Amino acid sequence: MTDAIKTNPAPNPFDNLSALRLDQSYADTVGVKKLLTTVPVRKPNRQDFVRVHPDPTYRLTPAAIIEVKEDREVYLVTPDMAQALPGEFATVTLFTTINRQGTLLLWPVKLPSPEGRHNEWHRSAAEGAERAQKKWVRVTASMSLGAYEIFEANGDLPDPVWPDFSFQEILKIAFRERLVDRADHPLVQRLQGIV
Amino acid sequence: MACDRPTGPGGGDTTCQKDLTARGNTTGPTHKAVLAAESRSATEERTLLKLLPFAEIWVVDFEFGSELGENPEPVCLVAWELRSGRKVRLWRDEFGTAPPYPTGPSALFVAYYASAEIGCHLALDWPVPERVLDLFTEFRNRTNGVPTENGSGLLGALAYHGLDAIGAVEKDEMRALILRGGPWSDAERAAILDYCESDVAALARLLPVMLPQIDLPRALLRGRHMVAAARMERSGVPIDTETLSRLRHHWANIQDQLIADIDANFGVFDGRTFKADRFAAWLSRKNIPWPRLESGRLDLSDDTFREMARAYPEVAPLRELRAALSEMRLSDLAVGRDGRNRTMLSAFRARTGRNQPSNTKFIFGPSVWLRGLIKPPPGCGIAYIDWQQQEFGIAAALSGDPLMMEAYRSGDPYLAFAKQAGAAPADATKATHKAIRDQFKSTVLAVQYGMGAVALAQRIGQPPIRARELLRLHRETYPVFWRWSDAAVDHAMLAGGLHTVFGWRVRVPAVSNERSLRNFPMQANGAEMLRLACCLGTERGIEVCAPVHDAVLICAPPDRLDADVARMQEAMREASGIVLNGFELGTDAHVVRYPDRYMDDRGATMWDRVMKLIHEQQQKAAA
Repeated sequence: MTDAIKTNPAPNPFDNLSALRLDQSYADTVGVKKLLTTVPVRKPNRQDFVRVHPDPTYRLTPAAIIEVKEDREVYLVTPDMAQALPGEFATVTLFTTINRQGTLLLWPVKLPSPEGRHNEWHRSAAEGAERAQKKWVRVTASMSLGAYEIFEANGDLPDPVWPDFSFQEILKIAFRERLVDRADHPLVQRLQGIV
Repeated sequence: MACDRPTGPGGGDTTCQKDLTARGNTTGPTHKAVLAAESRSATEERTLLKLLPFAEIWVVDFEFGSELGENPEPVCLVAWELRSGRKVRLWRDEFGTAPPYPTGPSALFVAYYASAEIGCHLALDWPVPERVLDLFTEFRNRTNGVPTENGSGLLGALAYHGLDAIGAVEKDEMRALILRGGPWSDAERAAILDYCESDVAALARLLPVMLPQIDLPRALLRGRHMVAAARMERSGVPIDTETLSRLRHHWANIQDQLIADIDANFGVFDGRTFKADRFAAWLSRKNIPWPRLESGRLDLSDDTFREMARAYPEVAPLRELRAALSEMRLSDLAVGRDGRNRTMLSAFRARTGRNQPSNTKFIFGPSVWLRGLIKPPPGCGIAYIDWQQQEFGIAAALSGDPLMMEAYRSGDPYLAFAKQAGAAPADATKATHKAIRDQFKSTVLAVQYGMGAVALAQRIGQPPIRARELLRLHRETYPVFWRWSDAAVDHAMLAGGLHTVFGWRVRVPAVSNERSLRNFPMQANGAEMLRLACCLGTERGIEVCAPVHDAVLICAPPDRLDADVARMQEAMREASGIVLNGFELGTDAHVVRYPDRYMDDRGATMWDRVMKLIHEQQQKAAA
């Protein structure tokens, strides 16, 4: 054993120090996936710069929603139920949206009424969502303007990293307990005055 | 065992590195548990040793004496070769011109806190071993981050592994005998040699028990650094001993004048006593929002003074004065007869693997103004060479954040960050956007230190909302870095620890500190980088006087100074490239030629003030 070592000493461990490097990409060595458990349904906060997913499969349009303001809750109404609740819901496009902190949300932007009416609030919000597909934008309500003001970020900011979830998964999480899909749904009963 | 050092690597204590020092905690693994896990038969242990790819395995220990600031003076040596069973015992008059064992790559040199043994090699002008396995560094690496029941000395390591050890009392007696100095009687000589041999025997027992957990190639790299540490300890930092003598002589007398001089602008001292109520009144007059403790009293810690002095520079003289009055013990500064500040670097002592020399003995430990004592020897020059924004560069390279790497490469990562975040135009410069750059610089440093918005707000003298905005911009601008940093914490919590590129590990204790874990990759890989640079520099013949956090101090004669600076910078560039997988960090060099002295900008005013007072004292005495 030792004679063999004398004639064939061990390789110099310092010949190639780079070969001694241990990996530092922790994400690859211990996989931790951020779980998506909550997806708020709301317009972006006034200070948030956001992007809208440019893929059309990452939006739902038209979508019928009912906003219960006192509870600050938004319900998604299935097409069948929407027919049974005329005048109770709003028709919107639900855009998959992300802010700079990586928080995902569904942004409901109202569609023109069946008569084609589209007030400035709805039109400006739609314009903001449109621009947010390519640029980081911030959308702020301006009461004096009567519309949303849209601000584009000047910096050369990188595109967002979208979480690896399908739109169906996002939709399911967003409306997990707030899908109006049957006549005896508590919200329907409440709207119809049934105790 | 070289146990007769006056200080231990813990810094400032008087116990030896290798001593048993009970720490009084009970959270470490029990002996029984470790024993159960590691109990092996003698046959298994021999088999483990056989697997080592070395023709000879020498377990070595010196006894030596050394006075404060001086190099070691070897007294005796015991060395055992573990394959053949050969044993060597040498008294100091038997050392000769070469070690009694080979030092080439086919022999493994095993020691406990090897820089001490290598220091004896250097004192004897012996060649240094090429393959060093230091069981101290490996024990530290194995237990780093969690308390050990009996410290990190040899006896602590033996106890941890359930092995017998020489009694602590006997060790103290023997150390005292060695430190007493010669001449020793024949009986004393035999006792010292026996004592030395008992440590070698302990090491021989410890090696096979520790071997299964040792990552040999990287352990050898740590051993290689212990050689560099010994060389740097031997070199030491050149000190202006004449000025040091004057300072020591006059210090007691000038303190009152120093207080009067500085306090004239504050009015917070009563004699030599700092009065908190007067300070509160001064803060109120100056409209400075000072942090308070939960009790409501002003936070007067040095850390807070340091932070506040950055935000409010008018506080800085008061901070320097308080530090000088409370911490400075000039008699502790370890300066040898040759005018070199020399103390144990305590390599691998810190959690991050950084050196942890005694704050009072090491010239870079006390207040920064005292660094004015560093002066090249006559006819020579020194250079302080540090990496540019080392931690930022490490974070950029290891996380792979493209914008962060781009910011580092710009040469001014702070301004680049401001530009990337949209807070400064593309053509902004340090001159045109100083205020913005300062805020973004503070934000980068705050992230590195794990500071929150409140602390950052204090530092930049802005309301917390601004600090929160700046921290948010950092997260938004460098999302790849943040994902990596979050993953590092996840990794630590899931895998039980983190490691550097060369395997320096930290284990997660029962109560973990997220900030500390998050910062570990930058700090600890920075330490790897410095260690490697010190190896390369010293091995290439550069006189490296001391490693200093993210810098080195070198010394050279004038005809070689510029070339050595360039070679050291090359070594530091090379080391950064190896640690960061090709991403190289730049360095800055501050060169000082005799008769000029080194001066840290932060301490220049205080230095001038103290020197002026000493001059006045001398004039008064002469008159």
